[in-house]
Amino acid sequence: MQQRPTLTEIEINRDLLRPTLDTPMWFYGLMAFLSIFAAAAIGAFAWAINHGTGVYGLNRPVMWGFLLVNFVFWVGISHAGVMLSAILRLANAEWRRPATRAAEVLTVFALGTAAMHPLFHLGRPWRLYWSMPPGYDFGRGIWPDIRSPFVWDPTAISTYLTSTALFVGLLLIPDLAVLRDHSSGMRQRMYSAMSLGWRGNTRQWKLQIIAGFLLSALILPVFVSVHSIVSWDFAVQIAVEGWNATIFAPYFVIGAVHSGVAGVISILALLRWMFKWENYIRDDHFDALARLMIVVAVAWFYFFIIEFMMGFYPNEEPELSLRNLQLTQWPFNAAFIVFALTSFFIPVPLWLFRKVRRNVALMFWTCVLVNIGMWLERFLIIIPSLMRKQVLTFNWGSYNPSPIELILVGGSFAMVFLGVLTFVKFFPIIPLADAKEGEIMATEIRVGKVMVPAAYREE
Amino acid sequence: MGVTRRQLLKFSGIGMLGAVIFAGCRIPDREFIAESPVLIPEDLVEGQDAYFATLARPSTGVESVLVRVMQGRAKKVEGNPDYPMSRGKHTAQAEASLQELYHPDRIATPLRRVGNRGSGQFESISWEDAIDELQSKLNEYSGNPGSVAMITEPLRGALGTVVNRFASNYGATQLAFEAVDQTVVRAAFKEMFNQDRLPIADVQNSHYVLSFGADFLSSWHAPLHYNWQYGEFRDTDSSKRGTLVQIEPRFSMTAANADTWVYINPGTEGVLALAIADVIVKEGLGDAAAMITLGDVIATHAQPLATAADVTGVSEAKILEMAHDFAGHQPGVAIGGGLAAAQTNGLFNMTAVYLLNALVDNVGKKGGILFNPDAPVKDLVSSAAASPLVDFQRLADRMRTNIPNGVNAVLVHGADPVYALPGGLQFGRAMMEHVQFIASFSNFMDETTAMADLVLPDQVPMEGWGDDVSDPGPGYESIALQQPVVMPFVDVRSFGDVLLATVEGLGGGMTRGLPWNTMKDAIRANAQELYKLNRGSIQQYPSFEEFWVGILQRGGWWDTKAKSKASTKAKIDKIPGNAVPSFSGSVAEYPYHLLPFMSHAMGDGRGAHLPWLQATPDPITTAVWSTWIELNPNTAKGLDVREGDILKVTSPKGSIEAQVYVNPAAPPKVVSIPMGQGHTEMGRYAKDIGSNVMSILDAVSDADTGALAWGATRVKLTLTGRRSRVPKFEGMVVPRLLDPVGEAGAGTPGGPLYKISNGKDHE
Amino acid sequence: MAVEHVERKWGMAVDADKCTGCQACVVSCQAENNIPLNESDHFLQRRAIQWIRIERYWEGEFPEVKARFVPMLCQHCENAPCEPVCPVFATYHNNEGLNVQVYNRCIGTRFCANNDPWNVRFFNFWEPVWPETLRNQLNSDVTVRSRGIMEKCSFCVQRIRRTIREVTREGREVVDGDVTPACVQSCPTNALVFGDLNDSDSEVDKLRKGGRQYRILDHLGTEPSVYYLSKVDPHAVTEEAHA
Ligand SMILES: Nc1nc2c(c(=O)[nH]1)N[C@H]1C(S)=C(S)[C@@H](COP(=O)(O)OP(=O)(O)OC[C@H]3O[C@@H](n4cnc5c(=O)[nH]c(N)nc54)[C@H](O)[C@@H]3O)O[C@H]1N2
Ligand code: SF4
Ligand code: SF4
Ligand code: SF4
Ligand code: SF4
Repeated sequence: MQQRPTLTEIEINRDLLRPTLDTPMWFYGLMAFLSIFAAAAIGAFAWAINHGTGVYGLNRPVMWGFLLVNFVFWVGISHAGVMLSAILRLANAEWRRPATRAAEVLTVFALGTAAMHPLFHLGRPWRLYWSMPPGYDFGRGIWPDIRSPFVWDPTAISTYLTSTALFVGLLLIPDLAVLRDHSSGMRQRMYSAMSLGWRGNTRQWKLQIIAGFLLSALILPVFVSVHSIVSWDFAVQIAVEGWNATIFAPYFVIGAVHSGVAGVISILALLRWMFKWENYIRDDHFDALARLMIVVAVAWFYFFIIEFMMGFYPNEEPELSLRNLQLTQWPFNAAFIVFALTSFFIPVPLWLFRKVRRNVALMFWTCVLVNIGMWLERFLIIIPSLMRKQVLTFNWGSYNPSPIELILVGGSFAMVFLGVLTFVKFFPIIPLADAKEGEIMATEIRVGKVMVPAAYREE
Repeated sequence: MGVTRRQLLKFSGIGMLGAVIFAGCRIPDREFIAESPVLIPEDLVEGQDAYFATLARPSTGVESVLVRVMQGRAKKVEGNPDYPMSRGKHTAQAEASLQELYHPDRIATPLRRVGNRGSGQFESISWEDAIDELQSKLNEYSGNPGSVAMITEPLRGALGTVVNRFASNYGATQLAFEAVDQTVVRAAFKEMFNQDRLPIADVQNSHYVLSFGADFLSSWHAPLHYNWQYGEFRDTDSSKRGTLVQIEPRFSMTAANADTWVYINPGTEGVLALAIADVIVKEGLGDAAAMITLGDVIATHAQPLATAADVTGVSEAKILEMAHDFAGHQPGVAIGGGLAAAQTNGLFNMTAVYLLNALVDNVGKKGGILFNPDAPVKDLVSSAAASPLVDFQRLADRMRTNIPNGVNAVLVHGADPVYALPGGLQFGRAMMEHVQFIASFSNFMDETTAMADLVLPDQVPMEGWGDDVSDPGPGYESIALQQPVVMPFVDVRSFGDVLLATVEGLGGGMTRGLPWNTMKDAIRANAQELYKLNRGSIQQYPSFEEFWVGILQRGGWWDTKAKSKASTKAKIDKIPGNAVPSFSGSVAEYPYHLLPFMSHAMGDGRGAHLPWLQATPDPITTAVWSTWIELNPNTAKGLDVREGDILKVTSPKGSIEAQVYVNPAAPPKVVSIPMGQGHTEMGRYAKDIGSNVMSILDAVSDADTGALAWGATRVKLTLTGRRSRVPKFEGMVVPRLLDPVGEAGAGTPGGPLYKISNGKDHE
Repeated sequence: MAVEHVERKWGMAVDADKCTGCQACVVSCQAENNIPLNESDHFLQRRAIQWIRIERYWEGEFPEVKARFVPMLCQHCENAPCEPVCPVFATYHNNEGLNVQVYNRCIGTRFCANNDPWNVRFFNFWEPVWPETLRNQLNSDVTVRSRGIMEKCSFCVQRIRRTIREVTREGREVVDGDVTPACVQSCPTNALVFGDLNDSDSEVDKLRKGGRQYRILDHLGTEPSVYYLSKVDPHAVTEEAHA
């Protein structure tokens, strides 16, 4: 167990509210820097609207490209939020405390960014609403076809986004009250409105805790459904042999957790480094998260192997040629090797070592590697499968992403970071109340000759 | 929470009821989907349309078509279901004539040159001024009428009559130009059967077709009619499905459709045909009488089987097999043309090939070779031959050297000799530098027109009057009519009308034989004669006016009973020309045979300005909008090139660049390049695309007829080090991610994709 | 109303033994259906649009080499996989067996194109442009599609509608041969035959029961309405090509 100082409530408030109340200059610089990329992405989208979908590198038969890859990637990242906070909350895992909100916030912004991708991707984005519940055009008989995964998708994603936002908001209330009491003027008015009259009395605490548990329980099935549905965007397609697999839903969900938890770890490492929060985001947390990662990664890898090998069983030409393409043809072979190394073979063995698990820099980089790998995984599933559709070899094709697509993909990363940073600017990313509760539950136990701080559990 | 048994029953009852109602009230899928208030616009078509019969004149041959017209605009071309050469069908080229009609770069008014010759600077002038200028120039040169050259496409029908009489009244030098002509085939028929019209092979009724170099399904003669015949020929319902053997040094579209494709060394087709004939005679498989009359000629010219196999590259066994099959599967027919005729020994080849038909006595018979009778109207030109290359050579020499008084004026219509004559002739340069006055009657700014001093734009067929005696025809008398179906949006006049308007002002004997004011008059006058015949497809009309409407509605006149009466027995004592071809360029320096071929869609280049034709995939390579060179995979490997590499193709007369297309069916040692591209003019869709293979051809010709031997130039290939993707329709099997050019693979067939039956399962 | 004969089911027979690859059908379809001009760049970008195309497959190597032509167009699958994936019903089946594309409804997800095993759906990546004069040729019975939407062979639905209207005006029923899509009309070899599969007297129905018939990718269970008649070749190069 690691040594840790005992923190007072005043210290906790001071440390955790620093980015909000006493924002350093470099923070604005970073936001400005990220805004450039986000603005470039908006500009690229405007360009695409103006000139048409032709500005993307898509063609026949590769009708879906980097934007769909990136869409799946961000939906995947968004899965860590509830995975961590809901499961750990329900399981009452003590080490969740500093990590939960960061995870939820990452979910909200990753999901919001992901939700923009169908818009970028559509031929007529201004008609996106025709496929979404509020947009049905009954007057003109524009019905949605509820058989289409593209109707399930917006439904699932909007449900997930709403409930996650609600979750974040609900758990934020006590902290907003603290902010209200520490600010003045406009900000005070804003925080007091948002804190919904929080006074911290027992009844309010009780309600808030029950609501938190209830929402956790409700969100879990949503979280499982979202990525299952995203996987069905692909799996229902009988025409694309590389996609038409029943294993896709669980495979995608577990993959999403793999990339999502890795995303959370990276964000936590960054926050700890940026705001010197060693006392809050401690090595113990990374250790615990890394153990979780090992379990998730192995489970995911099992699905990957099954899915990949199953392709060989029917011994059919298009499927074999797809595997051949993925494994042996430049540049997919390179992508495949990088994917396999970064998503599994480099990080997982490293995490087996306690030293690595407790080394924040190493954890950060291994988790970045995982996400590079997981991005490539989606790429390797989506694009080669379209290039090798069925036996009509006359139509087999290829695809090059266009600069516009690359800008949009790059910009999406800036957008997510920008979202998280904006949150950090206005709200505490580490829950104050949770941190304080953790302090209260902390006690000192004797281990051998030394007294070490630890937490006890309420039963 | 405890649930009582009663509650449980109640809830499940409600649930089941709900499920039943839900399922029962479900709107059937079909209603829900299809009967929504929004119909597709195509469900609600209204508006009146009308179909008019007229002619389309693409570079592949004249077709009788129906044009769908709505609100004064031509919308669609469809084959004329009545006319015997069309049968309700049409080619891609005929369809594309709509784009000629509405081409954004059409010449809209008469033009007079203002800048330097060839600078492309013109001013718009009125028709009165244009005709005045033409008349004054013609008057100016009337002292030396032979110094005026009229170059047209080979003209049949009434326009042929008008132009021929105009030229002879004036005394002008008259030439008919066609880039890829039938001179040699015609000469062979003249030689053997004394026929001056193109015959037709009755492929439809044939059981065995032996085709030497004639790409008759794509670019030779009358592809529309031959495709239709081929469809009938392939009818598996009949007891015997016909067999097609294509003997050609290039894998053409016809070769692709043949049951067997036989590679032959370029120019040795005559040797092969004679070897086959020799086997037939020696084994007594042919017609008894014909074997007696032709036996000597064959014996004199035929080479021993082993030598023939060696020369042609076709194995002895194959020769024997073809001889037995051809003689044993009668009616069978031998066709020759295309590359086999485009050699320095073209006439030898053609004579030998068509001799095979005489040998089995299938001429004039069902499933054999059919002759076409002339039109029954005296003022109609029934057949028109192109002038051989030597005539143009002579003309160019006259331009350059002023003999006997040079060439003062060139009037050109429907021909683009500057583009399409072999580069070795330097015809464009001679015309540019030595001819005082050039008038072009083209509706399009082609390379020759760009050099003109005066442009008198012609109508496109859909705008004006015309007619055609089908050549090749269906084997009986047939005349197709062309009428205007839309009003021109441009200020153009037909070539014939302009000539007729000019003759008055030229005085003298110019009006001799030209009593008509317009082409319409001429055509009506011919129709009067048809009316008097009172036979054929349109008869027993009470008045001429009704007859006239009748033939316009049906698109022409034909008489299935009026067949040729010419003798079908071949008379020949020797086969003219050399058995072996010669080539421009030595084997050592120029290792590859260059086999140019007519672009399937754009022909010899006359269709290059139409975007539909540019975008029509070549049937074999699927390439579009470019000039490519077809290489054998091993040749490509040897040169270390792959698809998209740009090669410099050099002949003794020049060089062009072309993109490599590795073609699994390309023979080694020959390379093929399509004609039709490399225009420096011709509007936005043709200009500066690809290169013109004609420009590197040497001006070598068939020794006997003087026709251009366009398959007789050799080339060498050098790498330019540049690369660009070949625009084509076929897919990219090898990924091109991160490689801007990428490489295509030829598709390999997959199981459920297509099926082949051996034909036996249906007998 | 436009749709009244519930019992009809349009279909096509494609005789691979007759098709010469002449491309007449391709250009005819372009003219009839206002297909955007395919410029060089569209081919390089692999976005050229041809509702019907002639696929060419190689068999063997020189000199024992064969090229096979397979005309390919929308198969108007009875159980079309492209339909249920469309979120907005822009593509649906009508009660005459046509897979209909409603351009105005399409939002451009390209989902249907992915789930079309035949790759016969074409997306308008760019706004189609015609020079002003060439617009005169556009068929006023057919919608000009804008960019961002999917298009494909419609079995020339406008010709079906027009024929039904005209035949009704003549006071008779539609008989075999009345309706000819543009490609079928032009095909010089009569390799394409169109008609009502539910009419046992129709030529197409006879051909699809004639012995040489097969359907491409039949194993997918989409019930294509286009029947192919196998190529007859006693000298096929590849053994397995003999089905
Ligand atoms: N805004 C507006 N829209 C209307 C109407 C209205 O009053 N106002 N009226 C409606 C009615 S009643 C009608 S009838 C329609 C008419 O609609 P349109 O049929 O479009 O008629 P216009 O616009 O008068 O002319 C059509 C084109 O034909 C060309 N043209 C003229 N002469 C010829 C010729 O000899 N040959 C060919 N090929 N083309 C020629 C003209 O240059 C013009 O471009 O419009 C309907 N739409
Ligand atoms: S062929 Fe393709 S586009 Fe046509 S109905 Fe079938 S799945 Fe749909
Ligand atoms: S591209 Fe259009 S037709 Fe196809 S699925 Fe999307 S909305 Fe439907
Ligand atoms: S049926 Fe009509 S729309 Fe379909 S390919 Fe033929 S011409 Fe084109
Ligand atoms: S028109 Fe007929 S023969 Fe020509 S390519 Fe099309 S299907 Fe084949």
